[in-house]
Amino acid sequence: MDAKDILGLPKNQLPIPQEKKSRPPKEPQRKPDGISREVYALTGGLAPLMPSVDVSQLKRRPPSDEKVTWQWLPFTNSARKDDLQLFHWVRVVNGVPPTGDYAFAKYNKSANIIKYTDEEYEKYLTDPAWTKEETDQLFDLCERFDLRFIVIADRFPSSRTVEELKDRYYSVSRALLSARAPPADITGHPLVKPYNISQEVERKRALSMVLSQTKQQERKDTEVLAEAKRITESRMAAKGPEESELPAVANIGPDNSQRAITGDAVTPSTAMPSSAIAASSTLMADNASTLASLRMLRVYLRTYALDQMVQAASASAGLRTIKRVEQTLQELGVNLKPKVPTKAVCAEHLELRKEILTLLNLQKQLQYKEAEGTSFQDSPYSETPGTPKRAPRGDQDRPFMPDPLGFGGDRFGKRDQKRKAPGRTSEAAQSPSQSKRPRKMKASDI
Amino acid sequence: MSARKQGDGQPEDGGATAGKRLKIAKFSEDPEKKGLSRRLKDAEISLPIVYGTIAFYLGRKASESQSHKWTVYVRGATNEDLSAVIKRVVFQLHPSFNNPTRVMEAPPFELSECGWGEFEIAISLFFHPDVCDKQLDLYHHLKLYPEDESGPQSTKKPVVVESYDEIVFPDPSEAFYARVQNNPAVIVPRMPAGFNISAPAPENTSERERGDTKDHPLSQWFMNFSEADELLKLAAARQQPFMEMIYEN
Repeated sequence: MDAKDILGLPKNQLPIPQEKKSRPPKEPQRKPDGISREVYALTGGLAPLMPSVDVSQLKRRPPSDEKVTWQWLPFTNSARKDDLQLFHWVRVVNGVPPTGDYAFAKYNKSANIIKYTDEEYEKYLTDPAWTKEETDQLFDLCERFDLRFIVIADRFPSSRTVEELKDRYYSVSRALLSARAPPADITGHPLVKPYNISQEVERKRALSMVLSQTKQQERKDTEVLAEAKRITESRMAAKGPEESELPAVANIGPDNSQRAITGDAVTPSTAMPSSAIAASSTLMADNASTLASLRMLRVYLRTYALDQMVQAASASAGLRTIKRVEQTLQELGVNLKPKVPTKAVCAEHLELRKEILTLLNLQKQLQYKEAEGTSFQDSPYSETPGTPKRAPRGDQDRPFMPDPLGFGGDRFGKRDQKRKAPGRTSEAAQSPSQSKRPRKMKASDI
Repeated sequence: MSARKQGDGQPEDGGATAGKRLKIAKFSEDPEKKGLSRRLKDAEISLPIVYGTIAFYLGRKASESQSHKWTVYVRGATNEDLSAVIKRVVFQLHPSFNNPTRVMEAPPFELSECGWGEFEIAISLFFHPDVCDKQLDLYHHLKLYPEDESGPQSTKKPVVVESYDEIVFPDPSEAFYARVQNNPAVIVPRMPAGFNISAPAPENTSERERGDTKDHPLSQWFMNFSEADELLKLAAARQQPFMEMIYEN
């Protein structure tokens, strides 16, 4: 059995369990001898590794010299303030009832709160916001309700918040303690720890806000946090190669171009869809690492630097995409390698390449979404497309309403074939919730 | 070398203002070494150069083995003197040449030869000690025959192939910066006000030979490299209407 292997115990068992500690866990087939089979089955067939009750005790009979009866006897409870006498069954041994207090009286504990005299109040405890009566009431309630401030706040005659009551109680107790005992003694006392009322109020407010957040709010928050994390991560990657903690001089050096790229990449990234955001942040990280490696060289050619940056930027793109980027560059009339590679020219060139790369990526995504959309049209029971893509063309904004009827009428979507191609893409471009409607209708029809 | 990278980053009083980074080496109080080990972080000094070849067909004087006369050179992009930065240039020619390793210790950094074949010339630039201790290698393919193969070659019109590039020195040393801050050949970063490194005493220019190529005999053939053209083209490309689609979505 696995458990026995884990414990490293011998496979053949002892017939009678010894003491608790050395007792091995039993196999389900073999029942222990101490208790009956049905009782053992109640545990689910497997004994606990460490039994709570010593099984050998279960079969033990009381010593024969004792005579045990059960009697219905009265008892008193020292925890009660009145003299109420109640009755219960008591195990009487040899005619001698058990002595001692009621067994549960020892649990009647209460919080010991400090009591003050009037003089002490005058001397140490006056407070502009609290009258003596209120403080007295507070302490009385504290004693009655064992410092359960929620209850106390409910019962308090004038309306005070829980935090205010707590604050008053703790500050009074602290003042009393420090007044009565020499200062060295009280440092160990738990009441000495200060209660920060403003912090508590803030904390509870924040908690309640978090609790009462709607689903949408939660989603928005996680998005913003993820975005912030990404930005800080890329900034950390950019800061990594810098070795000093002082801020850089504003307008010189590779730092300038790096900051400019960071700045430019952040603003359009808020406008671009989320996939592009991830792309731009990885681009910034790549940029930073290339710059770092360039700095390691004592001297380099700017064309070499540009090549490195271009490589880093197109690291995520396949060979085909790179070829298409170059093709686009040529169509635009730009040299693949700048003829006059000055700092400004190289920076512009790099930016242009990155923009073309982004453009091509987006076009590819658009194509994928369109393909998904059309495949959805063909088989209505397939998965809905993930994110709805926004159609860049405004003229396709026909209402979607006529189409569910068309869908419902023809299960295999034969009508799709007759529809014009742009119409299909516009349907796919509408939100998926609308396209769910025809499916629901069908399910109920069946 | 690693000592330069360690540093307290503490600015020195007098000359260094807040917001600027200076690395102060932990060792050596020797002023010369200090100038070398103090570097301007996050700054770069760049040296725009043009290197290439000009080849003339010899025409009547041509022989089988010597049909062209060509010159390989490295010059400043604005034809300024590069000797403040470059100490010497080594041209590595085809092994069929006598002494294929030609060393130029003084400007103008060029070499003329006669030959018949095209090959790759390796150009190694060596810099002054306070600039950089590593050499930089460039490669240039010697072109003798014009693109347009029609007709006999002219002896008047040479075949010119030039390449523009910029040599970038990241984190330059203070001494280097001090030396070249007013050099027309070098692009130096703008320093914040109050940053003063005194330039060394200017050399007596009349005694030194002119190292610039402004009046070089071949200067009429030098190509014009205009940054403005390239920038314009790039800017126009980025503003193409279809490029704006990436911002629309």
